[in-house]
Amino acid sequence: MPRILTMSMMAILAVPGMAWAQGAAAAGGDDLAKAFAVLAAGLGFGLAAGLCGLGQGRAAGQAVDAMARQPGAIARIQTAMLLGLAFIESLVLFVFVIAVILLFVKS
Amino acid sequence: MELIEHPPILHIAAIPDHILYTWIAMAILITVAFVASRRVQLVPTGSQNFMEIVLEQFVKELDETIGHDGRRYLPLIATLGLFILVSNLMGLVPGLVAPTANLNTTAACALIVFVTYHVIGVRKQGFIPYLKHFAGPVPTVLKPLMFVIEIISHCARPLSLSLRLFGNMMAGHILLAIFFFMMGFDGMLGWALRGSVAGLVIGAPAALIMVVFVVGFLFPLKILVAFIQTFIFCKLAMLYIAAAVEEAEHH
Repeated sequence: MPRILTMSMMAILAVPGMAWAQGAAAAGGDDLAKAFAVLAAGLGFGLAAGLCGLGQGRAAGQAVDAMARQPGAIARIQTAMLLGLAFIESLVLFVFVIAVILLFVKS
Repeated sequence: MELIEHPPILHIAAIPDHILYTWIAMAILITVAFVASRRVQLVPTGSQNFMEIVLEQFVKELDETIGHDGRRYLPLIATLGLFILVSNLMGLVPGLVAPTANLNTTAACALIVFVTYHVIGVRKQGFIPYLKHFAGPVPTVLKPLMFVIEIISHCARPLSLSLRLFGNMMAGHILLAIFFFMMGFDGMLGWALRGSVAGLVIGAPAALIMVVFVVGFLFPLKILVAFIQTFIFCKLAMLYIAAAVEEAEHH
């Protein structure tokens, strides 16, 4: 079952590239590189956003848990939570910067 | 980008947009500060009251983070914080540009923080003891390794500080631009106004939903993000300064 999943994933990943390769045979390698850059930007940013959602959800959940247990320490927990969320989020923003570079900077 | 984005209202050739709008943010801050401090009273009213409340938040955070010596750094932290806050909020006004949505502005702020906390650390405990601190409390064999790792982590600080602010503002900018583009005259609303049945049935409700979504959810979220990013930038600057100051007191 995992093998089928992996193979279908690979097929899905390869389809745009192959479709492009057929159409862009005459257009040269530059368009192909651009197509793969768009693909990489979209996939990479989707991965980063999804995993960041997992991490931030865990952090926020634990923080709410702690706040419910210790209502007196809400201010400190909130500060720590915001800082932690910012650190998690900044990793996604690195990917975002890379995606913007891939999309808009002509190499 | 140029396809979906309207140029800003005010644009002077030969001056980059982010510098022009940095000047506008500076003008706003200088005007407010001047009006607030023109007649300083013991019992504040009006704009003086407002500025005192704003600055008290910074003082509270400084006392909490750095401790008894924290108020010395109020000018630096409050200046950075107010500038970043005004810049972030400027990006939400249609037609204006957020200066912080450009990497040059945020990198300048982050480099100021970087240089300042190293200077504070060196001044507090001298050059050689400050360098020794990078090695940390580990056995002598591991010290060179720790030193290199610590140097790398210190160099990563301004990088992440600037990229975080820039990425947040830039992402919000692009998101708002895309939404305005999709619901505007080139998008759903234009489709509905063109008069076809499909446009009226699908385009008009979609445009309405997008307007409600943007005004009701996206704009409040962006205002929240503007404040949170300012808070985080200032808090991290305070934490770095606190780390440079505290190490002097332990040894």
